[in-house]
Amino acid sequence: MNESRNTCGQACALTVLAPIRERRESALTHRLSTLEPGLASPLANVTGTHFARWVVIGDVVYEGTSQRRPDHLKAGRLLFTSNFDGPLAPYLEQLRTGLGEVADEVWGHCAGYPGSADARAFAAYMRSHQVESSLFFAAYGGRTAEEVKQSLATRRQVIEFAVRSQQLAPAELQAQFRETFGA
Amino acid sequence: MANIEGRATAITVITPIKRGGPLVLWLVFWAGRNIKRTLEKLEKLSFIHFARWAVIKQFPDEQGGERLNHPYLLFESNFNGAWEQYIDAFSEVVAFRMKAIWGTSFGFPGPLPVEPFKAYIRHNEFVANHYFSAYPGATTTEIVSAERVEGALEELRGSAGLDAEAFRAAYAAFLTKVQGDL
Repeated sequence: MNESRNTCGQACALTVLAPIRERRESALTHRLSTLEPGLASPLANVTGTHFARWVVIGDVVYEGTSQRRPDHLKAGRLLFTSNFDGPLAPYLEQLRTGLGEVADEVWGHCAGYPGSADARAFAAYMRSHQVESSLFFAAYGGRTAEEVKQSLATRRQVIEFAVRSQQLAPAELQAQFRETFGA
Repeated sequence: MANIEGRATAITVITPIKRGGPLVLWLVFWAGRNIKRTLEKLEKLSFIHFARWAVIKQFPDEQGGERLNHPYLLFESNFNGAWEQYIDAFSEVVAFRMKAIWGTSFGFPGPLPVEPFKAYIRHNEFVANHYFSAYPGATTTEIVSAERVEGALEELRGSAGLDAEAFRAAYAAFLTKVQGDL
């Protein structure tokens, strides 16, 4: 695995394709559908995650006669992708500890998954089912997820301040600025 | 729909690659990694947070990987806005690059006209079963703007010790500087 290909600035891409065990696809799909959405998602507990998803790939798609030979996967795959603050090794540990039981409830439907109790085995499983990116693009690859959230909050604060300080005299403006922005 | 989280939308597309395609893709992606200009167009499509392409030569499993008749191209993207607009913009702004990339996949109708292209993407798209964004309310533009605002604010903090009139002038200059980012 050439990790530099999964990197753009400090941002990293993780792509994991794990084989789904026989007759487990619907149970897996059900479990994923019952995960809390939004910021209550278990992925919110995985520090350093910007965007991530699980996708059940039942089989590959056939393009019709132009393709000549159709393909079929022996087993469906669970795709997990994450766009996160690198490097990979500490992130895999974040993934294990941050997801907790959810990791087992999800990847437990996949063949060969060793469980999340053993950190080394968990990381080894993710790495051995990882696919290398050919090209990874990050619009703000220099910023960690926390930095992004912080600067968004600052921007909101500046907007609010600009609105409420419009009529202030210079001395009052300066005092309120110091109070708001801690200068 | 799990492909949407706040203002963010997920796209996951997997397509079979034609014979000879891997070599072309190797060159195209090499250019993408090494020639700065290639990715600048993606930055101009200012609504993409993160995107990746990966060539799947074999699908990982416990027996050393499952090799199908064809390798597969995975495309994963996180963007803000509507699916339709995203595909429209992609097919117009980076048409040449799209052709270079998906031209190696079976069934690709070309980026224009856009309707057959949309049908192609829909046909090959997998809907996410669970999708997460750490900042679902933010667009890419807002994030890039926020970084500039933060930088300018840091400078303004340095002026907080000036006398009140000079501070007001510095504050006015700050607002002028960041007005496009607020």
